[in-house]
Amino acid sequence: MNQFEYIAATSIEQVVEVMSEYGTYASILAGGTDLLISLRRLNGNGPKVVVDISRIKSLQGISLENGTVNLFPLATHTSVAHSKVIHQQAVLLSSAASVIGSPQIRNRGTVGGNIMNAAACADTVPPLVALDASVTLQSKTGNRQLPLSDLFIEPYRTNAKPDEVLTKIQFSALPQKAKSSFIKLGRRNALAISRLSVAAIICQDAKGIIVDARIVPGATFPTWHRVREAEQLLVGEQPSRKLFESAGKKVSEMMIAQIGRRWSTEYKEPVIAVLVRRALEQCIDNPIGLRGSAS
Amino acid sequence: MNKITVKPTINNRLYSLSIYPNQTLLQLLRDEIGLTGTKCGCEIGECGACTVLLDGEPVNACLVLAPQVDGKKILTVEGLADHGTLSAIQESFLDHDAAHCGFCTPGMLMSAKALLDENKSPDEKEVRTAISGNLCRCTGYVQIVEAIEDCAKVKK
Repeated sequence: MNQFEYIAATSIEQVVEVMSEYGTYASILAGGTDLLISLRRLNGNGPKVVVDISRIKSLQGISLENGTVNLFPLATHTSVAHSKVIHQQAVLLSSAASVIGSPQIRNRGTVGGNIMNAAACADTVPPLVALDASVTLQSKTGNRQLPLSDLFIEPYRTNAKPDEVLTKIQFSALPQKAKSSFIKLGRRNALAISRLSVAAIICQDAKGIIVDARIVPGATFPTWHRVREAEQLLVGEQPSRKLFESAGKKVSEMMIAQIGRRWSTEYKEPVIAVLVRRALEQCIDNPIGLRGSAS
Repeated sequence: MNKITVKPTINNRLYSLSIYPNQTLLQLLRDEIGLTGTKCGCEIGECGACTVLLDGEPVNACLVLAPQVDGKKILTVEGLADHGTLSAIQESFLDHDAAHCGFCTPGMLMSAKALLDENKSPDEKEVRTAISGNLCRCTGYVQIVEAIEDCAKVKK
């Protein structure tokens, strides 16, 4: 690991100050599960300054206020997975947080780090995009809030400026009737990097007609977004295997339309369609969501 | 690069250590204070050989930057025994021949300890989840899982 100056920040203001001075020469340290690996890899080309934000109280915690969930960036995956608020208001996010890495990784890794690292396989991001989450970035010139889906440019690149710091993630609690799920497909159960994943939310009226549907695949498109073309097929319909299959096919079509045919397409084309179908089925069959692996 | 001072409590003993900020907790344990029970495997958080408890929670010591442990409590495998008397989980590993080559054992013990501290009677699935971040390349998982389950039963 190359040499750097270490700053244990005590306030957001201090972090913002350091980031505005050093910009791309500074790296923010939260849980460290991604940063420490890159610090070793970048040997020689690493940051001049590492700003440790892990002790800043105002960046910690999860709360529910007037129907809005405030998720602070230092919340660890373990705390998200165990949070009553998240379990009650957005169970698909609990499911996603509980299958990241390993217990050791989940105890250190944070949701803020998962977002800002912006790896295509980030497991908390598809659920948060499905929840229409917004993020707040703070810099010396003030705050800006933007939809989470607008934050990403491409894998590992966000449009946050070097002096901007993620300070809050917010989303509206799901309606009581909403059902949600998260499916992750990895090469094995523990410590797996998502090859493909799907976050899904479905709302039905009293007659069972789908009135709202959200589908966000992970590691499928260059960035995360709801696949409205597939969602529209569902709205106004009664759930059925055939209907969910058609939504899955639509997601698959949109993937190829957007990224073209690659070496992995032969595999991903049928598999993403099946994962979408399963995610939707799990919404209907299992109102409290699912845990973990695709079956 | 300037050295900084950190004051962690390691195995119930308070240390004041002058370290370089680019060291990891794993280097601090092994190289600075000679606690080599914690093993260095992959150094990317995949193998769990370096698992220690940080404020009671299992973490990969290779992924914790040393300055972050200032004021924190750390328990390593050397802290499990009490004045030479092995802890129940260590005895159970011995009884079940749960160590083959032994390299994963310290990390396995720490993950097991964290589980049993929180859950007095884990089922097999909970045991397997608790050690899912620890690789045993001898593939001796069955004995390890049985050792942990049995330790929970004896404790009850």
